Amino acid sequence: MSANDVLDVLNIQRDTSGQPAKKKAKTSNDGTTGLRQSGMARELYNLLGPNTPPVNLQNTANNTGIKDKWKTKATPWTLQEFRPTAEPGKEEGVKLYHWVRGAKELLQQESLKQPYFFKKFNTNVDIPELVDEKTYDKFMVEIKEHVKEEKKIQRQKEKQLEKERKAKEKKEKQRQERLEKEKLKAKEAKEGKKKEVKEEEEEDEQDEKEDDEEEEDEEEDDDDEEIEDNEPEWTYEETAYLFDLCKAFELKWHIIHDRYHHENERSQEDLKEQFYRICKYIYANDTNGNPTLIEGLGAFSKIKETERKQYLERLLRRTPAEIAEEESLVIEARRFELAAKKMLVERSNLLTLLDYPQSSQSVSQYQSSQGIANLYSNLMIMDKNQKKRQQSTAVDPIPPPIPLAASSSSRKERSFQTHLQQYLTGLVKQNQQQNGKHEMSAVQALLTKRLSVKDEEAYGLHYHNNEKLTPGVVLRSSQRLHGLQQRQSVLKSVNTILEELDMATAAGTSWKPVMPTRKTMAKYDELLRSVITLLDLKRGRDKLESEIQLIRSQKGLE
Amino acid sequence: MASTSNVYGGDEINAIVLDPGSLNTRIGYAGDDFPKVITPSYYAYEPTTKKSIFGDGINVPRSNYEIKPIMKDSVVSDWDAAINQYTHYFENDLKIDYKEQPILITEPIWTSTSERKTVVENFYEHFEFPALYLARAPTCISFQQGRPNCLVVDIGHNTVSVTPVIDGISLIKNSLRTHYSGEYLSDQLKDLFLTKFPNLTLDNKFKIRSKESTKYPDQPKFTVRDNIPENITQSFEDYQQELIFHEMKETLLEVPEKLISEENSEYYSKDGQKRLFELPNGQSIELGIERFELADSIFDPVNYHFTNKQLSDKYSTETGNLVIDTTQEDYRPLKRARKVESNNSTPPPSSPSKEIIDETRGLTQLISHALSTIDIDLRASVAHNIIITGGVSLIPQLTERLYNELTALNPGLKIRLHAVGNSSERVNQAWIGGSVLSSLGTFHQMWVTKEEYEEAGADRILNQRFR
Repeated sequence: MSANDVLDVLNIQRDTSGQPAKKKAKTSNDGTTGLRQSGMARELYNLLGPNTPPVNLQNTANNTGIKDKWKTKATPWTLQEFRPTAEPGKEEGVKLYHWVRGAKELLQQESLKQPYFFKKFNTNVDIPELVDEKTYDKFMVEIKEHVKEEKKIQRQKEKQLEKERKAKEKKEKQRQERLEKEKLKAKEAKEGKKKEVKEEEEEDEQDEKEDDEEEEDEEEDDDDEEIEDNEPEWTYEETAYLFDLCKAFELKWHIIHDRYHHENERSQEDLKEQFYRICKYIYANDTNGNPTLIEGLGAFSKIKETERKQYLERLLRRTPAEIAEEESLVIEARRFELAAKKMLVERSNLLTLLDYPQSSQSVSQYQSSQGIANLYSNLMIMDKNQKKRQQSTAVDPIPPPIPLAASSSSRKERSFQTHLQQYLTGLVKQNQQQNGKHEMSAVQALLTKRLSVKDEEAYGLHYHNNEKLTPGVVLRSSQRLHGLQQRQSVLKSVNTILEELDMATAAGTSWKPVMPTRKTMAKYDELLRSVITLLDLKRGRDKLESEIQLIRSQKGLE
Repeated sequence: MASTSNVYGGDEINAIVLDPGSLNTRIGYAGDDFPKVITPSYYAYEPTTKKSIFGDGINVPRSNYEIKPIMKDSVVSDWDAAINQYTHYFENDLKIDYKEQPILITEPIWTSTSERKTVVENFYEHFEFPALYLARAPTCISFQQGRPNCLVVDIGHNTVSVTPVIDGISLIKNSLRTHYSGEYLSDQLKDLFLTKFPNLTLDNKFKIRSKESTKYPDQPKFTVRDNIPENITQSFEDYQQELIFHEMKETLLEVPEKLISEENSEYYSKDGQKRLFELPNGQSIELGIERFELADSIFDPVNYHFTNKQLSDKYSTETGNLVIDTTQEDYRPLKRARKVESNNSTPPPSSPSKEIIDETRGLTQLISHALSTIDIDLRASVAHNIIITGGVSLIPQLTERLYNELTALNPGLKIRLHAVGNSSERVNQAWIGGSVLSSLGTFHQMWVTKEEYEEAGADRILNQRFR
């Protein structure tokens, strides 16, 4: 049953005139598919009715594609022998077999010419050939001398340090002795024994002399000392072995050290040191040695390397408690950073508040009336923008908070003035609104004539002069007070303050007076406003205080 | 390679991969994801006719057939049998033509140079493979996981070994190995049977025709088969008994969360933790805390002593340090005499002064110690790639326990354990890794022919070609 049948049953005339062209296409389509489909599939297809999908569901192209493929010949695969290590054209190394796509004859020709595909990945590191034994011995002698010299220098340095240390100690000692003696002297002076003091002083001089002699002895001792070598000497054979391993394991030092079986126990750093210094000498003796490379090779320091590893080791040995402490410190530091950033942002906001138009150009262009008008309009625009920005960043209607800082600068800040003016005019306006009672309307005048103030109060009369009134009846308890139109957070803090002051408010979040008479509501509104202003003031004060503290700490006053 | 261009790194040559383990030997073609042959590393041998039987056929009771191991300590000990076994599978099972492909053989890290030489020489002598390669088992495992830098913890039948692998090459000096592993667990079970179930008769499966389930200490009720051949050897009985233990290990053991002490022993002895195990003769035994204690013993072998003297003699205290033979005849200096004074000098400063304590190391201590000996530059990356493999690692909760203990012991390191989820893959991981390795296009330049072996010399090939 097609959709058409349904329409027939429902006695609905189908608008056929609209799409004759489409129908033709459809019928042709139906013709082809009708032939193919039978049974359930046809029934289902019929259910679609004339709304046949634009895309032909029957993918006939695919079927023919397979048939086409049947006709073409398959690409041949050949089991081909190959020699992975051999040079092209030569028969050497192991013979293996793998399957390759292509005809046999073609491949055989090709394979003779080309090396094994994966051979290019087998690369070797560039390691210098070890020199012959004689030059090696020469190098080693040089190295030894170099090491000796270095050690001497180091030892001298150490000695120097030691001497300085000793000298310091001696001075300290002498000073202390002197102090003691002075004390003694003072004592003795009291007792009046001057002779002994002289003797003591002589002794002191003698002591110094002895000390100097001792020092000289020590120096001699140091010179006599043979420079000891901690590690066993590197023979030519061992070095050759090392170079061999370096080449085989491509300078992977961990593995070289692992496979290093020699009778001398060497650490990885020993191996590195020997290899690098010999390489350095080899390159240095080579005429076309790369100077930067040689320098780099000389930079290896065994002591530094072992020290580095020891530090790392210590780092890993931290206990969980230490790690936790470190982490907490890092978090704290980050928090400080964030706080500082926040402070900076606030400060910059404050500064933009104090921003005023800089006059970099000469004044002459404003001397004409046209110029003045331009300036005025520019300022107006800027002022508007600033107002907007201010409103978007901070809703609090505090007066621009830093009159002191602003006035400290010699110039008069125009924009600041405008702000202040705005605020003042706002206040004046408010006052005017409050004082608006005095302007009486005609009705009011009529009523006041007839009724006394007392009567008015008794009747509960009230004059809405300039207030905008919403039509309809409103309960005073649900009246929208001016003071309540604040942000939620501000309201919350207001609430807490009211609670602190033990204000009697209705329970829950709606803290309105229990008896919402006009007077109480007005008072209540006033109270809210004053609390909000108070809060604003407090916030401003806090900000300033923290500013002051920051500047103080920056200047090192605290 | 893959990062720069999309080169397909494989080049299939269908090499043979042979992975002889202490319990099972695995043979198959490279490029397969699973070995074609998994066969016990034991064989049945009849001394008079000198006939041997390989494979699962050894489980059939035959008169006078001895069951003998091919491997000892994960190294082939009975070479005649080994070669017979390999020939049997190569020629009868896989029907391979030797000349068509090379063979890759896995070897443990503790093989000595002489043992390695024997392997290579035997293969060149008895089989006509064009080339061969000896691959270290941990290297293969690292290839299976695709992690070039890792710490391979192989808890096998015979040994627990911990080997760092760097750039796909095993570091032998830092490797550790103990015997507190599968076989040790079997022996613990045996010991438990002797003490806790003294009246138990372990009747082997082949004897039983029908059975009724009873519960220890009730006597088993079963009828014996009547067609059992005469002269069943003791070794056959023992081997069959091992199989029972094996099944018990697989089904009963569970690793406790912490070392079993007086505090938590109560929890583990609860009724809910008890499990029944039915022996082949229908008799069931119940194990509660014992199954936790057994698994705990590989973590803390010191506290689990054998009551049986014979068994306790089998396991001496082991620190796990490997004895590396440094027979390097090639480079022993002949000309110059060593200076004697160098011997009494102080050791280089890099080696932190650690006292060598003769202690028994359980599994966790073993890994932790291995970590501490690895070069500091590698330690972090290796600790982050710890591969747990081997059949014993399949005991429930083992990896969790290991992770908890290792992180507690090494607070500075970030420990991460990797264990293959598929249990049969975990058991055959070394073989699969070998299969991966020997299907790589770049690897084919590493095969060593007999000529090259003879030309370059055994030591050089063993040390530098078979990495």
